[in-house]
Amino acid sequence: MRNRAGRITRQYIKFPRPRAVRPQRSGGAEVFFRHADKWPTPVQGPRGRATGQRQGQTIMKSSTIALPRAARDDAGGFLPDFCNIRIVFVIVVTAELLAFILALTAPGNTAERWSRLGLLSLFIQWVSLSCAGCLCLARARLNRLPSPFAGAAAFLIILLMAGVAVEFAVLIAGGTGLESFLPPGRHDEFLRTSLAIAAIVGAVVLRYFYVQRQTRRTIEAEARARFQALQARIRPHFMFNSMNTIASLTRTNPALAEEVVEDLAELFRISLADAGNLTTLGAELDLIRRYLKIETLRMGERLRIVEETATLPLDARIPALLVQPLVENAVYHGIEPLAEGGTIRIEGHCGDGMITLCVTNPLALAPPRRRSGNHMALANIRERLQLHYGRHGRIEAGPRDGAFRVCLTFPHQREAA
Amino acid sequence: VKILLADDEAPARARLRSLLGEIGGNEIAGEAANGREALELADRLKPDIVLLDIRMPGIDGLEAATHLAGYEKPPAVIFTTAYGDYALEAFEAHAMDYLLKPIRRQRLEEALAKARRLNRAQLGAVRQAPPGEAARTHICARSRGQLVLIPVNEIAYFRADHKYVTVRHLRGEVLIEEPLKDLAEEFAGRFLRIHRNTLIAVSFLAGLAKTAEDVYVVSLRGVEERPEVSRRHLFELKELLKRYG
Repeated sequence: MRNRAGRITRQYIKFPRPRAVRPQRSGGAEVFFRHADKWPTPVQGPRGRATGQRQGQTIMKSSTIALPRAARDDAGGFLPDFCNIRIVFVIVVTAELLAFILALTAPGNTAERWSRLGLLSLFIQWVSLSCAGCLCLARARLNRLPSPFAGAAAFLIILLMAGVAVEFAVLIAGGTGLESFLPPGRHDEFLRTSLAIAAIVGAVVLRYFYVQRQTRRTIEAEARARFQALQARIRPHFMFNSMNTIASLTRTNPALAEEVVEDLAELFRISLADAGNLTTLGAELDLIRRYLKIETLRMGERLRIVEETATLPLDARIPALLVQPLVENAVYHGIEPLAEGGTIRIEGHCGDGMITLCVTNPLALAPPRRRSGNHMALANIRERLQLHYGRHGRIEAGPRDGAFRVCLTFPHQREAA
Repeated sequence: VKILLADDEAPARARLRSLLGEIGGNEIAGEAANGREALELADRLKPDIVLLDIRMPGIDGLEAATHLAGYEKPPAVIFTTAYGDYALEAFEAHAMDYLLKPIRRQRLEEALAKARRLNRAQLGAVRQAPPGEAARTHICARSRGQLVLIPVNEIAYFRADHKYVTVRHLRGEVLIEEPLKDLAEEFAGRFLRIHRNTLIAVSFLAGLAKTAEDVYVVSLRGVEERPEVSRRHLFELKELLKRYG
């Protein structure tokens, strides 16, 4: 199961990452559909263009009807946005391919085939683009219907547009000397053939959109499940110790007890919130300060803190609880085992559009028994970094100058415009 | 009833103090902030009951309990812990009871009552209990009536001599009453037997020499004595030296 999820997640990562999105409150797979709105389009800049090309290649490999992901699908229906330039392009290409097939299968010599291809292209593009236009206009309504009805309605629109196009073509052909291609007596046959082809191609295309939507939903659901599994959790150890601190303070210092309850509530609100939520660096640092305040009450002078984060951009958007677990680790593994305590350093700097945050704690020389889980927390953060930033996010950990140091490096993402 | 509190968190100790004050009939003999302090205070104050936090820096609660069980008059140990993981292990170390933080007054009363019912003889039986599977980080000994705690990583060798075992460490030597065989098992891998009566710390090993009397001896870092190597254990020692260059 894990393997499977892992594979699918990687597939997910291959798609362009959302560069900066607002935290989504809505439940279900919809969250990712909304992210899709903000996926870079080919005209968005060098990075967006590059990903657009890569994506194009993937799709050409995987399907004969090349179709990029629908850009807007927030209504939840399976019909993509037919006004989207990429969808239009795909429709034009598909229509042209159909024209080629029909021209190739027609009798006659090469010259006749070429002129036939011209007319067929004209006709088929006409039908397909008018279908796209109608579906674009009707999409908002159609997507409100259940999928089978929306599919049937779209199918009828395609047939209707094909029929209308045939009638117009016959009308025009009558006065322009194109009788050799469209003899007046074969009007019915032409209509029947056109409708049949429109029905077959229309059904295949609609089916394709439907299947594609289902696949995407599965991938998103699994990616979401993975996010949830990776959600940073506050150690139960910390929770119960904090409760104990509160129980003690309630007698001796009720005002302080109240503050601790507030800080603890804040920590748990974020820890229990939707996985994959985004926050700002400033809010995360604030949360860390609240956390350290509680720990200082517990450990007193054993816990000393040095924070050098003045130069960090507080508005940078980061996944929630990206840094706090590192600080919690530092307290758990670096300070608690030392009778004399030690100093935790939180340092950050920013440059070249990248933010680096380091957490340093003293190295407990002879680690007492029954302390583990450090690597799990690090692996978890590494995976979340990768899910959010792709290869641009890094985490490095190791002993350095007699202390243990973990550094996070990730791109500075501003709030979505 | 004399009670010793051991917890590294001041608020936790404050809460226990006030709970014990409410229950009444107890005397708080002392408060310790880590395992080492707890052992030293327990040795000096001879409490009847020790409320011992499991997660403490240095010597943790479980190891402290193992040492306390070896005291002449072992106190009853009640573990306190914030998170329930250690409950089973706590019973293995023969605690009277364990309490989950935040501790309820009623549970504390029950645990204290249970501890009071046990008499010294019953507590003495705890001594015979096998030590936990985890190796100690310190050796607990008594020198001129004083409690001495020696970090295991400062011990150069153990040498058995009649009833006692001499523990030679960086700052001197003390006598303990444990069988050399048990020590060899507990610290397997870290200490090597070089003679029927000697275990040496592998990390202290400096070299092997032959004396004028045709006897092999090892030199150890930081100590002058050169323990004798018996013929039976010579091969194993040579292999080890070869491996470490």
